[in-house]
Amino acid sequence: MSIDEPSLARLMAASQRGDRAAYRALLGDCRKWLARYFARRIAPHLIDDLVQETLVSMHRKLATWDSGRPFLPWLAAIARYRWIDMLRRQRDEAELGDNDAAVGAEDDAVHARISIDRMLGYLTPGQAQAITLVKIEGASIAEASKICGQSESLVKVNIHRGLKKLAQLIESE
Amino acid sequence: MKDASIDALIDGLATDLKPVRPQRLLRGGLWVAAGWIAGGAALLWLFGMRHDLSAGLAMAPLPMLAFWLIAALGMAAAWSALRMGLPSVGRDYSGWRWAGLAALALPLSAIFIGFGDSHSAMEAMRPEHGMRCTVDGLIAGIGVGAALFAWLKGGAPTSPARAGWVIGIAAGSAGATAVGLHCSSNDMIHIAMWHGLAIPLWGVAGRVLLAPLLRW
Repeated sequence: MSIDEPSLARLMAASQRGDRAAYRALLGDCRKWLARYFARRIAPHLIDDLVQETLVSMHRKLATWDSGRPFLPWLAAIARYRWIDMLRRQRDEAELGDNDAAVGAEDDAVHARISIDRMLGYLTPGQAQAITLVKIEGASIAEASKICGQSESLVKVNIHRGLKKLAQLIESE
Repeated sequence: MKDASIDALIDGLATDLKPVRPQRLLRGGLWVAAGWIAGGAALLWLFGMRHDLSAGLAMAPLPMLAFWLIAALGMAAAWSALRMGLPSVGRDYSGWRWAGLAALALPLSAIFIGFGDSHSAMEAMRPEHGMRCTVDGLIAGIGVGAALFAWLKGGAPTSPARAGWVIGIAAGSAGATAVGLHCSSNDMIHIAMWHGLAIPLWGVAGRVLLAPLLRW
């Protein structure tokens, strides 16, 4: 079943009225949409955590959707907020991701507006490369260091500074 | 494992669902208007209106112009803050910046007037001649600040830092308009400096004190 805006909006309106069956269907559809949304934005092993966090935030903020406005931009705004939050946490984390393969995300108007590729264009090439390798493609620091020719400490510095700038850029979008 | 935990989460959230009353901009706007009126009315009730208004006359042109410029900034900032509570990718929350640029006409005019008559300017800038107006403005803005903070706390602002600034600018502007109805000064330097000062002070307070509380 395809995830389309009018169906989601109808399910959301019913959910706001307390319809649990509609809400369960809505959460199921949102889960699929969010998994695609986050797929090109974060290392694969973190996607499920971020999807869960976003679903919980969505649940807490159900009242902030206005039925006169489209649903997906609302969901994307909440997803983006949780993504920024995770970027901030990652910036401060010493532990880095496992080596997983990234999967491609389907592109649509909402995705394109805050595309990670466009955002990475605002960073220095070294920062963009370090973040792409470690945070999106899931390479280790040592592997990223070999691939891009930066020292391991420079990779860490570029990730830290790049994520900080990225969070500011996304927030100001 | 992960799929099972997401399934369990969805089941839990669905079981936990209760009907919600959607947040409406109109309702938030009414609270802000009430806060604005309450702050202004309290100030005027305690300390009275400016002389021309209390005598039933029209406000002098310069303070009237300042009043409307600051009121426009306050309304634009309040509207932006209200919209920030209902998130959506692609929404523009920057309308208040244009009103802010227009309101910069006040300090700029004051600077040029000050160049022409530096003695009067120095007199007008003495804290004993104006600090009271700033303090009154800060206090009179609490109603709008509280209403917007409560709205955004219940909402989902996706940029708490910016929301903090905008709450502060709206609250400071509301306080400055209340002071504009109370203070009898027609001096542009006094109005721009001592009435207007409440706006950046509230802005900084919003950014520093309120923004961290708006994270969700």
